[in-house]
Amino acid sequence: MKAFGGYHPAVTFTYFISVLLTAMFVWNPVIQLTALLGGIMFSLMLVRKKAILSDMGFYISLFLLVAVTNPLFSHNGVTPLFFMNGNPVTLEAVIYGIFISVMVVGVLFWCKCYNEIMTEDKFLYLFGRIIPKMSLVLSMALRFVPMFKRQMKNVSRAQKAMGLYSQKSYVDRLRGGIRVFTAMISWSLENSMELSSSMRARGYGLHGRTNFSLFKFGARDAAVLLSGLLLFVVVMIGVGSGSVDFTFYPELGKISLSLKSLITYISFFILSFLPFFIEVKENLKWKYYISKI
Amino acid sequence: MKKDILALLSLALIIAVLIHGTNIQSVDEYYLTHIDDITPQSETVFISIHCDTVLQNYDELDKALQSDKYVPQNGVILPETEYVLRPGDTVFDILDRAVRYNKIQMEYQGADKNSYGSVYVQGINYLYEFSCGPLSGWMYQVNGEFPNYGCSKYKLKDGDRIAWVYTCDLGKDVGCIWMGDETG
Repeated sequence: MKAFGGYHPAVTFTYFISVLLTAMFVWNPVIQLTALLGGIMFSLMLVRKKAILSDMGFYISLFLLVAVTNPLFSHNGVTPLFFMNGNPVTLEAVIYGIFISVMVVGVLFWCKCYNEIMTEDKFLYLFGRIIPKMSLVLSMALRFVPMFKRQMKNVSRAQKAMGLYSQKSYVDRLRGGIRVFTAMISWSLENSMELSSSMRARGYGLHGRTNFSLFKFGARDAAVLLSGLLLFVVVMIGVGSGSVDFTFYPELGKISLSLKSLITYISFFILSFLPFFIEVKENLKWKYYISKI
Repeated sequence: MKKDILALLSLALIIAVLIHGTNIQSVDEYYLTHIDDITPQSETVFISIHCDTVLQNYDELDKALQSDKYVPQNGVILPETEYVLRPGDTVFDILDRAVRYNKIQMEYQGADKNSYGSVYVQGINYLYEFSCGPLSGWMYQVNGEFPNYGCSKYKLKDGDRIAWVYTCDLGKDVGCIWMGDETG
């Protein structure tokens, strides 16, 4: 069920860019938490729940790693918890670390959604004509991680079938993993070369070629594009006016609750939950039609 | 299984070494409540910490720091105070003891972490390097002169006067003429 994926690529692309820009560059806890929640809810709609749960381990360990590393290296802050080798480990640094990890995990979730929605053909449809080389490189880069994961599974399965490193020992499994990884590096280099030459052999970028998939820009696309852009502009005006500025060092600032900042928070909330609402609406519609049959 | 146990043991060993090399103190242990008493026989030095230059470049200062709490109105973080000089003390040792006693925040980079082989003071009283423009940071003076090397390499003698000053212009505004790289 990807109702949002049915929209014109220009709409979805603009949408993702605006959410990712806000999530990456606005240093405010409310905005970041909203982005994280929105990303999680949206990806729950797109991917099977089992797949999300299996990724959770990775996200949680990344979260802890970033949150713990920051206070070890950044000692600014007015509330020391304890002192390590003469330098303070402060509450502010811990909170800053947690904030950064919320940001990183949130952006990762949005990138996951991006990969589900903006498939390569859509990206090439948008940019294949204007910047053929650049768009090919970009689309290859964007699909790199999912493809890498898929191929990695294949290689490790093949290794297992050959009976290599199949003992239960963790050390052996780790060594097997490293072996698969080195194989993957050379494979991915080779693959990218082959891919580009095969694209050339098919005449990619030549004049007069049509796209694999075609999209029509309709009224509903215009509606979502405009409302998304409007919300993004409101958020950017709020950010530009400094109403959502937040300081971590040396003392934690207060979360601003003025009218301006509330408007910014609410518009970003609607912006980041927009695809979620669309998916829910389509699901309800589907259920309603089914019940009528 | 044997390999697993070995790997686990070596991991535990690494962690033990790391923990052993880390000195963890509680807040009360870090701040000194008592400092060596000055007796007629003891050798002493003087130390002061100033940030006057920030007041002249207040608009360049980090917005979060624009408060009397971090930059005092008269620019004095620590007025000139006398402390006992223990044998072999360097400028950094005295600074460390003074800030611990006066509960002033200070962050430094250890001597093993840079190529100069000396401690580098990154910030005092939440005022950090680059907090007030790209050419700002902490420098130290002994008897009115800026030594051209790190503060944990300068061995003090009786009666020396240390002044830690914050510069906003690579030392030019505090009267340092050699214009070297950041030392502190």
